[in-house]
Amino acid sequence: MSIMEYNGGSVVAMVGKNCVAIASDLRLGNQALTIATNFEKVFPVTDRIMLGMAGLASDVLTLRDRFRLLVNMYTIKEEREIEPETFAHLVSSTLYEKRFGPYFIEPIIAGLSKGSNKPFIASTDVIGCINFAKGFVVCGTATDKLFGVAESLWEPDLEPEDLFETISQTLMNAVDRDAFSGWGVVVHVITPEKAFTRYLRARMD
Amino acid sequence: MPHQERRFNPYTENGGTILAIAGEDFTVIAGDTRQSEGYNIQTRYAPKVFRLTDKAVLAVNGFAADGNMFVQKVQQRLEWYAHAHNKPMPLKAIARLIQTMLYAKRFFPYYVYNILGGIEEDGSGAVYSFDPVGSYEREACRAAGAAQSLVQPFLDNQIYFKNQLPPPGGAHPRHLPLNDVLSLVIDSFTGATERHIEVGDGLEIYIVLAPNKSSVELERLPGVKRIQGTFDIAGDASPDVTAAAAAVGVTGEKMFVMRRELKKD
Amino acid sequence: MFLTRSEYDRGVNTFSPEGRLFQVEYAIEAIKLGSTTVGIRTPEGVILGVEKRVPSPLLESSSVEKIMEIDAHLGCAMSGLTADARTMIDHARVTSQNHAFTYDEAIGVESVTQAVCDLALRFGESMDNESAMMSRPFGVALLIAGIDEKGPQLYHTDPSGTYTRYEAKAIGSGSEAAQSDLQDKYHKQMTLTEAHHLTLRVLKQVMEEKLDHHNIQLAQVTKEKGFHILTEEELQGLIDSMPAVPAPGAAAA
Repeated sequence: MSIMEYNGGSVVAMVGKNCVAIASDLRLGNQALTIATNFEKVFPVTDRIMLGMAGLASDVLTLRDRFRLLVNMYTIKEEREIEPETFAHLVSSTLYEKRFGPYFIEPIIAGLSKGSNKPFIASTDVIGCINFAKGFVVCGTATDKLFGVAESLWEPDLEPEDLFETISQTLMNAVDRDAFSGWGVVVHVITPEKAFTRYLRARMD
Repeated sequence: MPHQERRFNPYTENGGTILAIAGEDFTVIAGDTRQSEGYNIQTRYAPKVFRLTDKAVLAVNGFAADGNMFVQKVQQRLEWYAHAHNKPMPLKAIARLIQTMLYAKRFFPYYVYNILGGIEEDGSGAVYSFDPVGSYEREACRAAGAAQSLVQPFLDNQIYFKNQLPPPGGAHPRHLPLNDVLSLVIDSFTGATERHIEVGDGLEIYIVLAPNKSSVELERLPGVKRIQGTFDIAGDASPDVTAAAAAVGVTGEKMFVMRRELKKD
Repeated sequence: MFLTRSEYDRGVNTFSPEGRLFQVEYAIEAIKLGSTTVGIRTPEGVILGVEKRVPSPLLESSSVEKIMEIDAHLGCAMSGLTADARTMIDHARVTSQNHAFTYDEAIGVESVTQAVCDLALRFGESMDNESAMMSRPFGVALLIAGIDEKGPQLYHTDPSGTYTRYEAKAIGSGSEAAQSDLQDKYHKQMTLTEAHHLTLRVLKQVMEEKLDHHNIQLAQVTKEKGFHILTEEELQGLIDSMPAVPAPGAAAA
């Protein structure tokens, strides 16, 4: 039994035209037993950055709180909002601090940079090695399935609504083939003007 | 120090992926041609898809040695059947035969996942998928092998329209046209090649058309080659009828193979 | 040295100088002692009819079984040593079930006939190391009726393992008269009912006793219902509805 599959769950993020989207499933499990079906794995970092984490649920919650602390410290010290790329490095170094006793999560960062509104996504492994992907990043128990679907569905320069449809279809169809993920999904889309969140109820099993 | 037992392992896994989709009056059966062992690429062209009869194609994935031997054994049984019963074996009979052959080795299985595709006796396209010990099912589409987990959810979405709402007042189409299916197959394999190290090099797509389906459109596509039937036991149509039908592009079951390059890295 | 015919009678697998296997020929003779059995093929299905000899009024005629089911789409009527037919029909049933199990389809009529005929010549003197085999040829002929993708078919098998397809065939003691009668009255486009009546008429002509629903047995194989042995009520109905005198050309009407 891998600790990364103990609670289950998956996260995906995608880049669109002047927008990003990040989504997760809602299941929390104890191996094969489903404990909760409202366990969100994506959290706001700033108004234009979100962090998603898949892996051990206790570490997900611990790191959510820890990153809130670190981002607050950054904001106070620097007297400005953190940039997505900077935040990705913050995540990376925080995880690497525990190089020999890591947190059992894989994070995904999605956001728009402050000045240029340039979309940004990144993911890392459990010890913080960053993957600056151009199109989409995935993690969690449905990783293989997410890669397969996203590779065929995603295309560059999607408008926010099209990006929403693409990421939703990708995640829903991937988690439907993953026993550890599912029970609906939550999708966040961030554009320069606004951010919106939608809950989708798909196959609830 | 505890005694270490060394034992011969009779199985290996040779990577690759296969896929089949049934249409209303055709079936498409495809496989990549890379054969690997661990991180070594043994060859860039090892076919995994085989013609069995004029209307049946078998794709075999898993342990290549078992796969090739299994195909030969099936072909031998098909020949025996044809001689005993004076007709080629129907698709659903091949499906059942494969089950009994696989289950016969229940306790030393052929380490292979089989997908059988072709045209049923009623002229419909059909796909049968098997597990290594013979459990089988007729389906509209199936992916198997190294990149099954990458391809199958994509097929669920695009073939079964999973998680898609039907158009207002309408319903999802039950079957897709041949061109759409071919595009999906090619997309599936380019996607799988991109993300899976054991998939790539070449793509071999077999297309079987029902007797009444015209092949004119298909033959215009690049890289499509017709496979001549050699299995003419019980070819009961009279020669002039066959010739007249051939003139308008309609004959018995027709089989084609379409070859595409896939990335080699 | 001249060997008489009787010496070649000894070995069941010994050819005579003229190239004959007497035991097999005698077995074929045995059929001519059997009760008359008739089979007729029509486009709708195949009819089988047998005469049941009832030598004693104390005999339960329903216990005489000369038509048997092989599978839902296959039936069989026999004449000769009916006990031998059990072995053959049992083999046919196993073959048919095995085919359905292995191929998920009904076995062809010719294939099941071939399977039965494969048994016919497996007799002879067994070697020391061999397990016991059959000591003599089968003394029975079969009419195998069935339907497959080629349509309704009727096959005849004899103890030599030869099989032939017929439109209409009679075997057994009255076969000569019955066969010529069939030749006169049979035509290709016969309906099932016409075939029923023809079967009854042919049997009636060769039977010593008066034909009734106790001393004959009829069966049919049709596309819709498969193999079916007619009940005594159905038989009685058919006998009652028989045209009294076969009007010339009535069958075509």
